[in-house]
Amino acid sequence: MMLRSGRNKAQFAALLVPGIVVFALFTVYPIVKLFVMSFLRWDLGSMFQKSFAGLENYKAVLSDETFFVAFENTLLYTLVTVPGQMALGLLAAVLIHSIPRFRVTFRVIYYIPVITSWVIVSLVFRYIFNTEGMLNYFLCNVLHLTKDYVPWLNTRWGGLTVAMLLGIWKGVGWNLVVFLAALQSVPAELYEAADVDGCSGWKKFWYITLPSIRPTILFALVMLTIGGFNVFTSIKMITDGKPMHQTDTVLTWMYYKAFSTGEFGYAAALSFIVAVTLMALAFLQFRAMKRQNC
Amino acid sequence: MKKSTMKMLALLLLAAMMLAAFTACGSNEAPSTSSVPPAETTEKPAADNAEAEPVTINFWHHYSAQSAENETLMNVLIPRFEEENPGIKVNAVSHEWADLHDKILISAQSNTLPDVARLDIAWVPEFQKMGILTALDEEMADFDSVTADLLDSAMSTGFVAGHYYAMALNTNTKILFYNEKALEEAGVAVPATMDEFVKAVAAVSGKNGAGQTVWGLNEPALAGWNVLPYIWSNGGEITNEDNTKASGYINSEKTIAAVQMLADMAKSGELSGYNSGDIPMTDGFGTGRYIFLLEGPWKTAELAGAYPDMVYGNCQLPAGEAGSISVLGGEDIAMFNGANKDAAWKFMQFMTSPFAEEEMAKCGQIPVNKTALESETVKNASFAPFLEAITTAKARPAVASWSEIDNELTIAMTKILVEGAPVKETLDALAVTIDGLLA
Amino acid sequence: MKSRKRRWSLALRYILLLLGGAVSVMPMIYMLSTSLRPNGALYEFPPHFFPKLGEITLENYRYIFAQEKFYLNFLNSVIVAVITIVLAAVIATALAYCLARFEFPGKKLLFALVIGMMIIPGTTLIIPQFQLASFFGITNSLAGLIPFYVAWVIPFSTFMIKSYIEGIPREFDEAAYADGGSVFTVFFRIILPLASPAIASVSIFNFLTAWEEFTWAMTVINDNAIRTLPIAISGFFGQHQFTQWGYVFAMSVASLVPVLIVFILCQKYFVSGLQAGGLKG
Repeated sequence: MMLRSGRNKAQFAALLVPGIVVFALFTVYPIVKLFVMSFLRWDLGSMFQKSFAGLENYKAVLSDETFFVAFENTLLYTLVTVPGQMALGLLAAVLIHSIPRFRVTFRVIYYIPVITSWVIVSLVFRYIFNTEGMLNYFLCNVLHLTKDYVPWLNTRWGGLTVAMLLGIWKGVGWNLVVFLAALQSVPAELYEAADVDGCSGWKKFWYITLPSIRPTILFALVMLTIGGFNVFTSIKMITDGKPMHQTDTVLTWMYYKAFSTGEFGYAAALSFIVAVTLMALAFLQFRAMKRQNC
Repeated sequence: MKKSTMKMLALLLLAAMMLAAFTACGSNEAPSTSSVPPAETTEKPAADNAEAEPVTINFWHHYSAQSAENETLMNVLIPRFEEENPGIKVNAVSHEWADLHDKILISAQSNTLPDVARLDIAWVPEFQKMGILTALDEEMADFDSVTADLLDSAMSTGFVAGHYYAMALNTNTKILFYNEKALEEAGVAVPATMDEFVKAVAAVSGKNGAGQTVWGLNEPALAGWNVLPYIWSNGGEITNEDNTKASGYINSEKTIAAVQMLADMAKSGELSGYNSGDIPMTDGFGTGRYIFLLEGPWKTAELAGAYPDMVYGNCQLPAGEAGSISVLGGEDIAMFNGANKDAAWKFMQFMTSPFAEEEMAKCGQIPVNKTALESETVKNASFAPFLEAITTAKARPAVASWSEIDNELTIAMTKILVEGAPVKETLDALAVTIDGLLA
Repeated sequence: MKSRKRRWSLALRYILLLLGGAVSVMPMIYMLSTSLRPNGALYEFPPHFFPKLGEITLENYRYIFAQEKFYLNFLNSVIVAVITIVLAAVIATALAYCLARFEFPGKKLLFALVIGMMIIPGTTLIIPQFQLASFFGITNSLAGLIPFYVAWVIPFSTFMIKSYIEGIPREFDEAAYADGGSVFTVFFRIILPLASPAIASVSIFNFLTAWEEFTWAMTVINDNAIRTLPIAISGFFGQHQFTQWGYVFAMSVASLVPVLIVFILCQKYFVSGLQAGGLKG
């Protein structure tokens, strides 16, 4: 709509400006600053006399083995936890959608991990997956599934497994609620028509339910991919990158480089690479959404 | 769940919270926390002057939050200091050891450094290089007379690049703690030599009555602080004497032998504690899962608090080829550029005074103040065996790149002990890396 | 025949759901059970999932609640979370309204920024944002947390509320304008009330975000008295010395209570707002 009167223009500006200020100050400015910083020679020795470093920092990041380990870890985390929580969340949503009673109760129970903070659940998982912890006792002494205690937290793949299990466990509830809402909005007539044609439950799920909730699936996919790349607190609390930075993710490695060893230029370049990668990834996903017409 | 039940539940929780919140308001007295503007006065302070303008100095330390030292600091030392120096308030902030190092790095970026901090002696050269520490012997006219009472050997940890950037605050080293009962049961005598020690560790390792694994030796990490005593005692080295070269030292035959000894222990399940999933040191020792520890004087108070029934003994680190050489630890107290110099200096003097040092000695902090060292408290303290160990202990290389070297050392040791990498090749590669960092 | 099959299938569904529910809450119950145990019992063998009746103790809670620091940390978290959600709701709704209803130069760019900021991980901007906080002299204070939290939650909030506003018929606006109403009239009288379900549901998410935020708070806050709960909890957790899991979990349980209250009271908004986003995403 177009604004003609001066009063309306002023009021419109009053509504728009606070948002713009927040974006300009806390988003645009830091991004520009980050970009500039990524070209500076800026570490402990040159803390107070930064100088232009050209592409040095980017070269350092891209020739850093640990960065690629961290990148691999982050990618693996995303590739495992995103489909994992979506599949389990959808399954739970379909089941809850199909039962006559206790729907709310189940929804509440499944949602509890979602509302519990990352710090807390990470510590709980660390406690459970301790080599001398409850889980190993259960697996080894009770079920006799393993001969010895599994040193979950001591190795790269063990530590990542715990972080991924935590990611899935904590995320199922969110997916459940999102998918349940989508399921409830699928028109009942579609199913009735299918019943008349004598379709099986699987067929109905495949040909009616899935296509109807596709927009929701894509929405969840984008949000969860972003979330996957954001993984930080769980790794920090569970393994803190140990052993030898083998379980670091891009963000924990960036944080370590910036705030433990003081290599700010390096960390800025790394941040920029991560941000650009994720933008590209999300752009592709958005494009896919557009093509699907949702 | 019924809607009404949910509402009731929520109300109940709410009531509980309100109660808590009211209590909170009653006791809400947050200290002033704004960082102190840099003092412009380089002129003498004078006590009457201080009274007019109340200042708050920020003091960062890593006395752990639940420790006796922290209690002493908060309930004895600071109240006494504030009483003696009206007009100066001390805001003490506790960080975890590793966090403190990082926090100082971060704050240096933003000019939000505290006025005074208690620093691990190994950090002083690094922070000096960053240019954030105040040269005390230059700035403080009475530096010589103030520090006259402090041990020279300890003061040397604050001496970097021709100036004193820190004052010694306390010193420490590590000696052996052993589980008496476990040694008795295994029929093992308290080891005096490294060979006996290796055998004793092997003898007490294995399974206990409940079928749980017992490790003979615990090391909570694999940094220089942890592995150097074994290396040094066996005649190994990390660098040459001037700290300019690691090749030929960190990969010398004797260093390799010492590291091989640790690697063998780890391989045969006798050494553990440095993995994320391991039982924490104190808990493992207190519950009989670790039998030997190499630890500092603070462990005594900690064990008394957490495992009061535990029966354990102390002895010197078993002597290797080169003798019993533990690692010298300790803390300095330093002032940052931009501090309120007069107030900060007063506080530093207070913290190193016989009174404060003696109070801290009661919780296991070994004084560096000669008067305090002569006091009855110290003579009767539980840390007598540590005083003996200090005479032979060695300090880690005092170089600005120590934090980085320490990281590389940790990575190399992890490769060897956890992944079973070959000792010689790994240390050869480490030598090259450290040479680069020392250059 | 058919009905029996259906009954079995229904029973199977309940069993599956119960299993999943058990997995969802078991870690939380274990946390609660650990918080009710004395520290010495934590390494006993064999370990127990539930505390033995005789050993149940409130010792850990007594310790936590006896510390003045705990109330300060708690209060800090409440203050930060409440101010964050209020500011974010006001700014995001206004912005969403502008984006949904008006044409103005730079609108495309602004919306691209909203989307872009949803994507870029907040942690990547931590260094320049820290410099910004230092520049304003708000490190080590609650004022150093709130603006950044607001900035972080605004993109998602704006995005969600905008989709919701787009579903409100424009005829309502036009009727108001026809009656001589201004932009404010439409915003306050029509958009705000009608969009309140969406605002409520994003606010709940914003509350959770602010309540549990860890990385930024850990970076900017130093003093014990200014710490929020997540850093206070992680501070209780010692790496190598001895971890007093009982204290850690007692504090965790205490910090969960407000979240549970919000969750239970506002349950329906957890769904409605998401629904809008899910459909129009």
